[in-house]
Amino acid sequence: MEHIVVIAEHLSGRIRPVTWELIAFARELKRLRNAPLSVLIPGEDISAPAEEISARTGCRVLAINTPGLQSYNSEAYKEILAAQLRETGATHVCIANSTQGLDFSPGLAIRLKGACITGVEKVTEKDGRLCFLRKIYNGKMTHTIVSDVGVTLLTVEPGVFKASEDEIADCHPVEYKNVSWHSDRVRNLGVEKSEAGIDSALNEADIIVAAGRGIGKEENLELIRKFASLFPRAAVAGSRPICDLGWLEYGRQVGITGATVTPKVYIACGISGATQHLTGMRGSGFIVAINTDPNTALFNDADLCIVEDLTTFIPAVIGEYKKEKQDE
Amino acid sequence: MPECLKPMKRQHLKILVCVKQVPDIEAIAHSDDPGTWAKISESTGFRMNRYDEYAVEEAILLKEANPGTIVDILSVGPQRANQTIRRALGMGADNGIHIRTADDEYLSPFLIASWIAAAVRSRDYDLILAGVMSEDGMHGQVGPMTAEFLGIPCATSVVASRISRDCASFQVTREIEDGLKDLLLLHFPAVLSIQSSTNKPRYPALSKILRAKSLELEVIDFDTFDVRTSPERLTEVGFPQKTRSGEILQGSQGEKAAELLRILSRKIPIR
Ligand SMILES: Cc1cc2nc3c(=O)[nH]c(=O)nc-3n(C[C@H](O)[C@H](O)[C@H](O)COP(=O)(O)OP(=O)(O)OC[C@H]3O[C@@H](n4cnc5c(N)ncnc54)[C@H](O)[C@@H]3O)c2cc1C
Ligand SMILES: Nc1ncnc2c1ncn2[C@@H]1O[C@H](COP(=O)(O)O)[C@@H](O)[C@H]1O
Repeated sequence: MEHIVVIAEHLSGRIRPVTWELIAFARELKRLRNAPLSVLIPGEDISAPAEEISARTGCRVLAINTPGLQSYNSEAYKEILAAQLRETGATHVCIANSTQGLDFSPGLAIRLKGACITGVEKVTEKDGRLCFLRKIYNGKMTHTIVSDVGVTLLTVEPGVFKASEDEIADCHPVEYKNVSWHSDRVRNLGVEKSEAGIDSALNEADIIVAAGRGIGKEENLELIRKFASLFPRAAVAGSRPICDLGWLEYGRQVGITGATVTPKVYIACGISGATQHLTGMRGSGFIVAINTDPNTALFNDADLCIVEDLTTFIPAVIGEYKKEKQDE
Repeated sequence: MPECLKPMKRQHLKILVCVKQVPDIEAIAHSDDPGTWAKISESTGFRMNRYDEYAVEEAILLKEANPGTIVDILSVGPQRANQTIRRALGMGADNGIHIRTADDEYLSPFLIASWIAAAVRSRDYDLILAGVMSEDGMHGQVGPMTAEFLGIPCATSVVASRISRDCASFQVTREIEDGLKDLLLLHFPAVLSIQSSTNKPRYPALSKILRAKSLELEVIDFDTFDVRTSPERLTEVGFPQKTRSGEILQGSQGEKAAELLRILSRKIPIR
């Protein structure tokens, strides 16, 4: 008997949006395998999020009330979930491919003698077996993986599966269960907000010109700035490496650990298009990618691809602009 | 001393850093036969996984802050992986361990972690560092799986760690989503997977490179390990599907520049 389980993700009493995507993914598995589906949510004071999941999706929800587990703790999650997943007879466990999901899933899989497949972006069925597609090489290629064991943990890439709200199945009352947990190997000291928030310029801009590692050196940011200045409502952003290098502030980082932006136009200059970056900008209206590598991952997700060296191409664009201004 | 910490056995640390050699991703072309894992052309270069550079840097910083600390480097990979180990030694690490595999076959994170755990189980490391993810495999699993095989705690996406002078307390900062950071107190021994941050991985120093060149690495052959199969299997390698039209601009550089401006002017105002 197969059984699909979703581990809901929540932070400070709020369900993280990726949970709805996990349920959408789990429903796809359910359709393929015709197996029951339930949602687990561990933690302290979780009745509100548990009820919300139940009301919004109609899924079976098991709230594992764990006194003392105010915030995420890897030791607690591995212990509580290993016991519960065994009891439920889970065969496919859907977890967010988030910093939290990636923190406990690999260890949990070992505990359950199960398989762990991270960053799942697609599921298909072939010869009666589920095949999971994930990206490799910074998104340039893909892997298809099948599980050979009875329990498979799947961490699902955020932003790939669309949350479906119209699919309320029969309603089940939330089930509650109390478990106790104690470990002192990892102790939470609290969650801290980073010094810099996301720069509001990124949300207000019509066009974002973003710099990636392909700019090569800090001086070339000047090119990016000049390019952006051709447009009245523009902002400059960067991929994570550019912010790690300190060339741009973290408030200007686009991606899963930065800002999610949806400008009318996004121009990625020297950005390869790793999933973690893509998640932050794939909702943009029109995506332009400028890259020397004709096979770069981002070309799969762009409207317009320009195979050029940005250090000569951007000056050429600025030159064309000036020429046209003169002709006017 | 915080109650949650086990006292250290000694006053200095023994740290292991796991490093992976990865291909230059830009050099991988679509024309490569997508049938197998690592059909990488002869000309492709190899380098240290970038997150592992941050992990080595973190270890060297801990060593500098806690004199007497020993930093060992371990890599699982074919013969050429020894260059990556030597690069880490050039950054200031002490000893290298090479778990040598057959050429370029796909190795699951499960296998790699189980071999690392088997090789280091009796070596008494206080701290094992890995990168948050490999740029080729992108699993994010080897660190936390190694911890589980060894039965020790783990924290992933770590951007900072601090050990008190007496090695009694150990605090780490994990980066999580939405600009938040999760602060933890950990027990030794532990595994950390390191996320890129503002620590700048140092370039190997010339004197250290020379030393690293002459240093003998400890080589362990992969077939000395019992575990050979994984719970999951790679069945296919391919290329991602397009999610947008992906029109490729043609022409000379100047023509492309003019065309780009024309296309943009239809979408948004230009000054
Ligand atoms: C948990 C986690 C969270 C992450 N969060 C984020 C995030 O929020 N945001 C983010 O961006 N990344 C994030 N990353 C990192 C992400 O995986 C990639 O490593 C990163 O996005 C790569 O940045 P890049 O494209 O600038 O660099 P690279 O991948 O190095 O790409 C550089 C590109 O520039 C091209 N290039 C080189 N020279 C030139 C030139 N002269 N002209 C034109 N093109 C050139 C190259 O062909 C290449 O495609 C995260 C990773 C992890 C593990
Ligand atoms: N072959 C390997 N040898 C040594 N360490 C590895 C190897 N593969 C992965 N690792 C470590 O595990 C981290 C995560 O890798 P992965 O699970 O493949 O994303 C890497 O950053 C390395 O620190």
